Amino acid sequence: MNAPTAAGRLAGIALVLPAALLLTVLYVLPMLGLGRMAFNETGPTGAMVPALSLATVKALLEDSFTLETTWNSLWLSFASTTLTLLMAYPLALFLHRTTSRFKALLTVLAVAPMLVSGVVRVFGWLALLGDRGLVNAMLMGLGVTSGPVRLVYNYIGVTLGLAESLMPYMVLALLSGFGRLDRACEEAAASLGSPPWRVFWRVTLPLSLPAVVLGYLLCFVLAMSAYVTPKLLGGGRVFLLATEIFDQAVTNVNWPAAAALALYTLMLVMLLVSAYAALTRRVEA
Amino acid sequence: MTAHLTLASLSKHYGETVAVADISLVVAKGESVALLGPSGCGKTTTLRMVAGLIQPTGGRISVTERDITDMPAHRRNMGYVFQSYALFPHLNVAANVGFGLDERGIGRAERDHKVGLALEQVRLTGLADRKPKELSGGQQQRVALARALVIEPDVLLLDESLSNLDAKLRDAMRIEIRDLQRALGITTLFVTHDQTEALTLCDRVAVMNAGRIEQLADPRTIYDRPATRFVADFVGRSSILRAMRTVEGGIALGGTPISVVGPLPAGAELDVFLRPQRIVLGAPNAKAGPDQNSLPGTIRGHVFVGDRQEVLVDTPAGRVMVETASGGIAPTTGDTVSLIWSAADTLFFPGISP
Repeated sequence: MNAPTAAGRLAGIALVLPAALLLTVLYVLPMLGLGRMAFNETGPTGAMVPALSLATVKALLEDSFTLETTWNSLWLSFASTTLTLLMAYPLALFLHRTTSRFKALLTVLAVAPMLVSGVVRVFGWLALLGDRGLVNAMLMGLGVTSGPVRLVYNYIGVTLGLAESLMPYMVLALLSGFGRLDRACEEAAASLGSPPWRVFWRVTLPLSLPAVVLGYLLCFVLAMSAYVTPKLLGGGRVFLLATEIFDQAVTNVNWPAAAALALYTLMLVMLLVSAYAALTRRVEA
Repeated sequence: MTAHLTLASLSKHYGETVAVADISLVVAKGESVALLGPSGCGKTTTLRMVAGLIQPTGGRISVTERDITDMPAHRRNMGYVFQSYALFPHLNVAANVGFGLDERGIGRAERDHKVGLALEQVRLTGLADRKPKELSGGQQQRVALARALVIEPDVLLLDESLSNLDAKLRDAMRIEIRDLQRALGITTLFVTHDQTEALTLCDRVAVMNAGRIEQLADPRTIYDRPATRFVADFVGRSSILRAMRTVEGGIALGGTPISVVGPLPAGAELDVFLRPQRIVLGAPNAKAGPDQNSLPGTIRGHVFVGDRQEVLVDTPAGRVMVETASGGIAPTTGDTVSLIWSAADTLFFPGISP
């Protein structure tokens, strides 16, 4: 490539400037504010005391509840993202493969849940999974169980609800990554003697791995930061980092604690993402 | 010659569209047959049906008397070389070549040995650890070939396998594939739209058009004695002249009676195809020998092509192209000449309205 001219460099800066400004004002400055907030203290009355101390952070890290919510968040994100992947992969593969003239329509349908508010979808799940919901009515009607099985206001309900709400993202991520999947490679494997399941195992899956890696990362991060679904489907019995930050900030009005927890969550996610990136780079190399 | 691969009335319909109408073909053990035709003639569809990648609508496919029509692709033991090579991008060269051996449950030591031999065969020793994307087009082609050959397939299927290579490499690969095919004595079906590939690489050529075989013969017969107008037109170049029936029952080109070999078709008009290499330029009114034809003409111009020279000659029957050696004296435009060619080289078909 040619060395950039002064004019070209200037044009480059001009092109980046609006986005940089917007990010600075709407993201970087508030983040700095959040960082500053974590070093304030909370007085005995619960009022915020401006300070520059590590007391709030120390209290957070010493609290065993922090470890518990961390574990809950990680486990829930892992479970729901894995469930999403298992459900979305066949769907995305079908959408990628189909030669139906309704392909575009089907793809839109697959991501259509994104158009519906998360709150509305949660109420849908409540109607399905509640004590007197469709699933329990069926189970009891068939005599499988005598009483209702607890499916909401616990981790089962939140995992299901999250998995469902993440599916459109996973489908889109997988679809965009399936470009490397060459039908001819699968045919080549078949001609070399691979039965269909071996073709999937030795060719289709490895070739779609970059898409899986991308989709998994995206959905895991989304699950870690999800608030509405865990809050409503958890019914106050599911304790996660995201819900805890909200409770500290809004219910307890303890902004320093909320800020410290938010920073903690941010660093945790960043750590996970970079570890994941390093791992996948090694796998692909 | 024993039949090895047999296609019997094979057809493939896609709804109303007929991709392959009716193909019957018997390939002998060790023989190589080209399916030659323009795009959309059904040649690749036929090959894919043999490989089991698509299911025929009708007809049977058998290998050594064993009917494989309903057998899935992975149980057929066909070596398929794809147009795009379809190498596995996530596997290195050795793993690509060994893929089919793994599926056959062959032990590690024997597998590595066979992979090594196959790579040696296609002169790729030393590149075993490379990924496909680190190879040149010609090398990728060789990997694809080794991968298909190492499983010792019943039939080698080549799908436009040379069309992605540049001209020089294509010539080299053509010879290489031909030698390999001969040395291994492997039955081969080769799909191509390139007549040079078909004529040079294969023992017999099936010229296909609109889902049917127009002519199945050895390369020389295809070129010298095309059975149909389509074959004459598709394979090689020709000048097409309109000939008229004479009162004596013969035919004439622009008033000059000419002789041909074989029975004439019905109809008052015929189309005569003349190959540019089969015509000699002679002095005006030069005497044609027995079984030869002569037609007067005027030089219209000439084009120097490098390894040959193309001379355009206007005759009473139309414009004719004549190929001459490139070292010769350039003909002068406006000179009168006579075109001389053998009666046997006069290809003729029922006239079609222009």
